[in-house]
Amino acid sequence: MAESLLEIVGLGKRFGGLHVTNNVSFELNQHEIIGLIGPNGAGKTTLLRLIMGILKPSSGSIRFKGKNINGLKTWDIVNLGIACTFQNMRPFRRLPIIANVMVSCMCPRAMKRGEWVKRIEAKAMDALEFAGISDMALEKASTLSQGDLKRLEIARAIGTEPELLLLDEPFGGLSPLETDLMAKSIKRLHKGGRFGRLHSEGPSMIIVEHKLQQLMKIADRIVALSFGTLIADGKPDEVVRNPQVIEAYFGEGGI
Amino acid sequence: MGFIWFYIRKIFTLFKCEVLVLPSRVALLVFVVALLLIPAFTQDPYLLWVLILTAIFSIFAASWDLLSGFTGQVNFGHALFFGVAAYTSGLINVYAKVPNFLSIPLAAIAGVLTGLIVGIPCLRLRGTYLALTTLAFPIILTGLIFALPEVTGGELGISGLDRLSTSRVYDYYITVVLMLVLTTIMWKITDSKTGILLHAIREDELAVRAGGINTTRYKLLAFCLSGFFAGIAGGLYAHIMRTVGPSTLEVALSFQVIIWSVFGGIVSIYGPVAGVFILFPLAEFLRILPKVRMLVFAVLVLLTLIYMPEGLIPWIRNKIEKECPRCKVRSIATRKTCRICAASLD
Ligand SMILES: Nc1ncnc2c1ncn2[C@@H]1O[C@H](COP(=O)(O)OP(=O)(O)OP(=O)(O)O)[C@@H](O)[C@H]1O
Ligand SMILES: [Mg+2]
Repeated sequence: MAESLLEIVGLGKRFGGLHVTNNVSFELNQHEIIGLIGPNGAGKTTLLRLIMGILKPSSGSIRFKGKNINGLKTWDIVNLGIACTFQNMRPFRRLPIIANVMVSCMCPRAMKRGEWVKRIEAKAMDALEFAGISDMALEKASTLSQGDLKRLEIARAIGTEPELLLLDEPFGGLSPLETDLMAKSIKRLHKGGRFGRLHSEGPSMIIVEHKLQQLMKIADRIVALSFGTLIADGKPDEVVRNPQVIEAYFGEGGI
Repeated sequence: MGFIWFYIRKIFTLFKCEVLVLPSRVALLVFVVALLLIPAFTQDPYLLWVLILTAIFSIFAASWDLLSGFTGQVNFGHALFFGVAAYTSGLINVYAKVPNFLSIPLAAIAGVLTGLIVGIPCLRLRGTYLALTTLAFPIILTGLIFALPEVTGGELGISGLDRLSTSRVYDYYITVVLMLVLTTIMWKITDSKTGILLHAIREDELAVRAGGINTTRYKLLAFCLSGFFAGIAGGLYAHIMRTVGPSTLEVALSFQVIIWSVFGGIVSIYGPVAGVFILFPLAEFLRILPKVRMLVFAVLVLLTLIYMPEGLIPWIRNKIEKECPRCKVRSIATRKTCRICAASLD
């Protein structure tokens, strides 16, 4: 059996007395897309933040490529090859969009030593091109719409050339048309290849999403959380038929 | 012969197309040339004295902008760097007889170390907490200076430093040229790769971390760079005044630098420099009317904050120049179309 890329064992997180993540364990294989679902407040964002090292777990361990990444700083984790997007987008509003992406293109993982600004700029431009907002490159980030901000988040994340990409609600607040476009972009990214100067190995992904229909089209596996506990893990169509998942989403009695 | 002409023509074209097209560049050119030519017209010692101090405080204000404006690590105790550097050059010049061309670089190094010492405890703080913590450092150091009067001279400070140079005109040229060079370097830093990161750290530190950047390193770098430039200013000040007292660490100086910078326009480097060049001579010349001096000052600063929240210089710049909506290149406001891409400017 090939070694799994990300291995989460017995992960727990408490905020005071509140168990937000409760003994969660699952594995992510190389080149796999996992959909992470669960009702509001289930602890999905918290789980991603634990993986990124933004929050410190209270118990359990996270292994990435066989290496324990508990307690590492966020930037070290990114430089190992994990990148994330934020659910509530966090652009650098007063910087031009291209500079937003240049920041992540400047991480040690993606940048060769002493690389010139021009080259970094070209690389950032390719990331924007991939995300489909290269025409706005010189505008301030504060002028972007919701959907374009999501795209900017993705452009920033792939600027670090990740092997594992954590997307927090990439379809949140998008119109059906935009959602389809975004789903296509994600699939294209997953296939991998070169986008101009930008190299993509076809990262594995964990996608948090509420729009189950779209998610099922791109995910290989679905993991469901409810009140911080893992309640299902399996093929998409199995998971959505799982009575526990239906109960978590629609309450006692089902649909 | 031919190629000399070629280069002269080329330089002239560059001058015409890159400098003369923008009022802000012309203003900068006039400012620099005027500064360099002043001693040729008047050698009035008082005027030169005021301009020397203005140049020194310009370096100081720009270094504040580098740390607090660009990186967003608002420092309410910036006088710490200035004072430490001034005392360093004072102590080693008076007691160890280190000549001034060494004591000023050493003062800058002291500024860098101070930046590290202040920066490390401040890494986890932001906003108000950071501001209050930084405010405390110079006060603590002032306490130490009063506690050790044998070494530091206590309230009277250290006097008898070497002069910066043999004449006032030389002093003037040294400080003014240093000011021009150092502020250009700072401006270049903010324009570089590092500058983008510092800017981004101010906007959203967590997002920069998620971009794989070691923000701790860059924040410390900002503290050290700021300490370095403020240190040079402090060292120069010590040798110009030829005495170093606790006034270099005063809270009033820390706030003064914030007022200058906010008035001129933060996050621009040239803003704080312009702020000092307007407010410092104004304050000096108003000394003849001590009663209205503070009033004029307060009203001026209040008015800028209300009507030009970005500061005076960015406000003026936006009035006389327009940014092209397409290529983001600036053109003079009287033009209808962009000077590069010919897009309409309205
Ligand atoms: N810093 C914090 N301190 C205390 N409680 C927190 C903190 N962050 C999150 N929580 C709580 O943890 C729970 C899970 O939050 P989380 O943001 O992970 O949910 P989510 O699954 O992402 O929900 P949504 O679908 O709405 O994004 C919520 O009840 C929230 O109130
Ligand atoms: Mg969430």
